[in-house]
Amino acid sequence: MFGTKISLFGNSKSLEKKIDLFHDNIIDVTMIFKKAIKVFLSEQRSESYKKLSGQIKQVEHDADTLRRDIENNLYSRNLIPDLRGDVLQLVENLDKVVNKFDEVTYKFYVERPDIPAEYHIRLTELCSQVAECVENMVIASRAFFRNFNVVRDYAQKVYFIESETDITSGKLRESIFDSELPLANKLQISSFVSVVADIADIAEDCIDELLIFAIKRDI
Amino acid sequence: MDYVFYLFLSSGLFLGWSLGASDASNIFGTAVGTKMIKFRTAAIISSIFIIIGAVVAGSGASETLGELGSVNALAGAFMVALAAAVTIYIMVDFSIPVSTSQAIVGAIIGWNLYSGKETDFSVLSKIVSTWVICPILAGLIAVIVFLIVRTFLKKSKIHLIQLDFYTRIGLILAGAFGAYALGANNIANVMGVFAPSSPFADVDFKLFSLNSVQVLFLIGAIAISVGVFTYSHKVIHTIGKGIMSMSPIVALIVVFSQALVLFLFSSEGLRDFLLSHNLPALPLVPVSSTQAVIGAILGIGILKGGKGIKWSITGKIALGWILTPTLATILCFVSLFFLENVFNLKVYS
Repeated sequence: MFGTKISLFGNSKSLEKKIDLFHDNIIDVTMIFKKAIKVFLSEQRSESYKKLSGQIKQVEHDADTLRRDIENNLYSRNLIPDLRGDVLQLVENLDKVVNKFDEVTYKFYVERPDIPAEYHIRLTELCSQVAECVENMVIASRAFFRNFNVVRDYAQKVYFIESETDITSGKLRESIFDSELPLANKLQISSFVSVVADIADIAEDCIDELLIFAIKRDI
Repeated sequence: MDYVFYLFLSSGLFLGWSLGASDASNIFGTAVGTKMIKFRTAAIISSIFIIIGAVVAGSGASETLGELGSVNALAGAFMVALAAAVTIYIMVDFSIPVSTSQAIVGAIIGWNLYSGKETDFSVLSKIVSTWVICPILAGLIAVIVFLIVRTFLKKSKIHLIQLDFYTRIGLILAGAFGAYALGANNIANVMGVFAPSSPFADVDFKLFSLNSVQVLFLIGAIAISVGVFTYSHKVIHTIGKGIMSMSPIVALIVVFSQALVLFLFSSEGLRDFLLSHNLPALPLVPVSSTQAVIGAILGIGILKGGKGIKWSITGKIALGWILTPTLATILCFVSLFFLENVFNLKVYS
């Protein structure tokens, strides 16, 4: 019986590590994304961009594997029965963010939009805001597991930064449609701005649910 | 004589079986219901510790019941236990939270009335006061433990997965403590009335020995364990949903509080320690684990603002306080009359 307990403790530790690793993956993907967009804006679809895009694909794949592992562990070993559903939902939501990063970088790779230099600064700023928004979401999510009292603080940051991304993306779209660019070009760039801003929206949705989970987390 | 004794003892064993079937759910109900612990594990731990508690520390609460009414004829003891068991069955059938202690006290008073023995009102008032004190004390302990645990959890920042592991360990330990306290406190309900007529000889196991009453308590505790194994899983799956929904940690706090209250009402060592230091001690009386659990849950529920509590249950408890002993008294009195006049059995001497 004692041996079983030790093995149970070991299993718990291993699952804990997997959850931490899953969060690390999301942080990694935000960093690579910021770098990839900068590279794309300066070099278009270069070898460096291809490599960064490949890295994001790999992280997305690793995150999927970890997500399945975490879900399997939770159910097969009957862990945290009262909050299992919430953790499952949270992990699924976080995974959606990672998938979106992959989708956006691949879209850049496939469509190769021609973005004039005058929009680069604002687009880079939007990407940084999106990345910051997701980073705060990850901190809030980590806090849910260890220190759920501060979830609200980071959630507030996510809400604030998400509204900033709305402002930045709005201004960017306005200036694009005010320009003399051909309509097809305007629509294409605008769709890119939208998909990038969507990442922050997904992070916000994730936080909405996380706040409810955090309330349930209190004993 | 032995054959007759076992025949009469059957009502006590039936009472023990029903106590095991219903009260084990108070110890491990939520843990099993929320799938934190397997039923088999819970049943094994409960049985072992109920037996240890009953044999090692069952005499304290039993003495107080003896003071209330020393049922001095075997047929009388049989009817006292049977009247209590039937009362419990009827109350459970009407879904009213029932206390084995109240049923047995009611039945003993019924025997006192029938046999013309005087009921010691100072003992009775001591017992009745515990019916009120027990849930209140359990509620207070639960509130204090809840506040300590919540503060600790906020500061300790234990990972959710790790916390789950510790909660499981805690539920097993608190469950074992709860089972020990249940055995120690409630064996008096099951076997107390048979104690004056116990025919068993002392048994020496070399390492330890059991006196006549302890052998009787061992048999009663085995009956409780059989109840745990054979029927408690049916009750276990409904417990915890009755008053309010609970997290596993709250369940742990409730079980611990209940166990502590039962322990306080049955520990001779603690009573002697308090009295030797001129401190007020609680009487050693069999109390209801169901009411202790309800008190603990209500305490935490009130602390959380009272939302989510089904208040109708408190009305049912109050109803149970009055109905259980009254019904047991009437049932015992009437049945003793039949036993003596129809079956020509000696129900008191």
